[in-house]
Amino acid sequence: MKELSQIVLPKDISYTQNHEWLRQEGDEAVVGVSDYAQDQLGEIVFAELPAAGDAFGQGQAFGTLESVKAVSEIYMPVAGEITAINEDLRNDPASINTDPYGKGWLIRLKPDNSDDQKKLMGRAAYLEMVKGKQ
Amino acid sequence: MKNSLAKTPLYAWHIANKANMADFGGYLMPLWYTSAKNEHLSVISGAGIFDTSHMAVLLLAGPDSRDLLQLCFTQNLETCTGPKRGPLTAGRCVYGAYLNQNGEVIDDTIVSQTGPDTYLLVVNAGMGGPVAEHLSRNQGNLDITITDLTDKVGKMDIQGPAAAKIVKKVISDPESVLEQMPYFSFKGHFDPAAPGSGTVRLKDGTPILLSRTGYTGEFGFEIFLDPANIVSLWESVLAAGKEFGVTACGLAARDSLRAGAVLPLSHQDIGHWPFVNNPWSFALPYTADGKGFTKEFIGAKALLGLQHAAYTLSFAGFDLRKVSLPSQVTDLSGNEIGTVLTCVTDMAIGRSVGRIFSIASPDKPEGFNATGISCGFVKIKNALAPGARVLLVDPRRKIEVEIVRDIRPDRTARRPIRVMA
Repeated sequence: MKELSQIVLPKDISYTQNHEWLRQEGDEAVVGVSDYAQDQLGEIVFAELPAAGDAFGQGQAFGTLESVKAVSEIYMPVAGEITAINEDLRNDPASINTDPYGKGWLIRLKPDNSDDQKKLMGRAAYLEMVKGKQ
Repeated sequence: MKNSLAKTPLYAWHIANKANMADFGGYLMPLWYTSAKNEHLSVISGAGIFDTSHMAVLLLAGPDSRDLLQLCFTQNLETCTGPKRGPLTAGRCVYGAYLNQNGEVIDDTIVSQTGPDTYLLVVNAGMGGPVAEHLSRNQGNLDITITDLTDKVGKMDIQGPAAAKIVKKVISDPESVLEQMPYFSFKGHFDPAAPGSGTVRLKDGTPILLSRTGYTGEFGFEIFLDPANIVSLWESVLAAGKEFGVTACGLAARDSLRAGAVLPLSHQDIGHWPFVNNPWSFALPYTADGKGFTKEFIGAKALLGLQHAAYTLSFAGFDLRKVSLPSQVTDLSGNEIGTVLTCVTDMAIGRSVGRIFSIASPDKPEGFNATGISCGFVKIKNALAPGARVLLVDPRRKIEVEIVRDIRPDRTARRPIRVMA
């Protein structure tokens, strides 16, 4: 497992208590799981994702990540409608482990409102939360 | 409680190699290093090594040892080895269980006969004490000494088709050691004072007990030795096995490999319910007609008198999705019929043309892609025939699975050593 100092946490994205990240891109947002989360899960062998057009509330489970040992739910950082899912994960789910902020993105969504984002954490706050779990 | 967890002699190695560690049976053990999937696959295609020093080891010595085992152990030691059902003799081992008076499992075990009156009993992590206590409670006037060797013995497993080729490179006189070594037999001893010690030595002279057993369903060995020497053996096996793709494996791979091989995990797939109606009836001394036992032992009477007992059955899914425990089992109409005992994914198998193939299957279809299949054991009220479909249900999902007799095909555990070395 990674040492805390080895966990990569980009500054330009927001984080949730459940270890998802969100990056605003125009009026859409991209969502994935953090480097800390992928390290805890171990190699991901399957990502069960919703379909484009599905809508979920903030904090609602929208899919699962499956490692050999465990199944974990993934939760919406903000309420919104799914506009795209990462189809490449079907063939390469382990890219969530190797490139959690790049090729391992999970979904794109159109947020319902901008207020939801105020409940997310910046890098420093998220790092503090993760430290508390060690 | 974190500080009270025990560590094996390989603990520092696991940490240095970035293992994801977790509590298992009171020991801090590696769950996986970088990829449980690759660790699982390496045991099917090459070899994997496992730190199994958490397992408990008891030594039974004295003229009445065999009598105590006949009373407390499920196998009949006079008729338990080989296809001809011969007696257990020095150099042979056998799998079975210790039951209580109700026929419920205290623990499962491999019993190895090391001399005329001595037996090594390997039981699960943390079970050395309870099993020793059970044995001594039933000892009566029998002349036996029971010694817990757990902290004096290190243990590692080498499993996979390349295991013999690797062992060959780290032991002295490999040709004679690996000659005539059937499944469930062993040679050598870790205790220099024990009979048979010196038959198998590492290149540096360390005596080891080399046993053709394991917990993966694949060809391989369990190695017992002085714990002071296990780190150096571990590292020399990694070096010697590099050309065969040897991989250090954690408990996650061990769990998925054993489930695919239809092997039970004690206290999960077998436990405090009667040890019958399960895939492991070979561990009971049934008479030829299956109506009685060939010996009397603790738990026998309860098992023969059962009116109704649950069935433990193996299952395989249709893709790699699992349920998380605790989960229910229902019939296809949603009526609850039981519970899930184990549900893991065997990443070395996949379905094609209506059956399961492994990456090791010689007859796998061209372009076969092992996508992984969930598998494990369910405990249900009534018997179901192979092929029957049930649903596994957890709060998150329902998956349809099939009751099966076997899971991962083309396993290598029983291959003759002459074709593997």
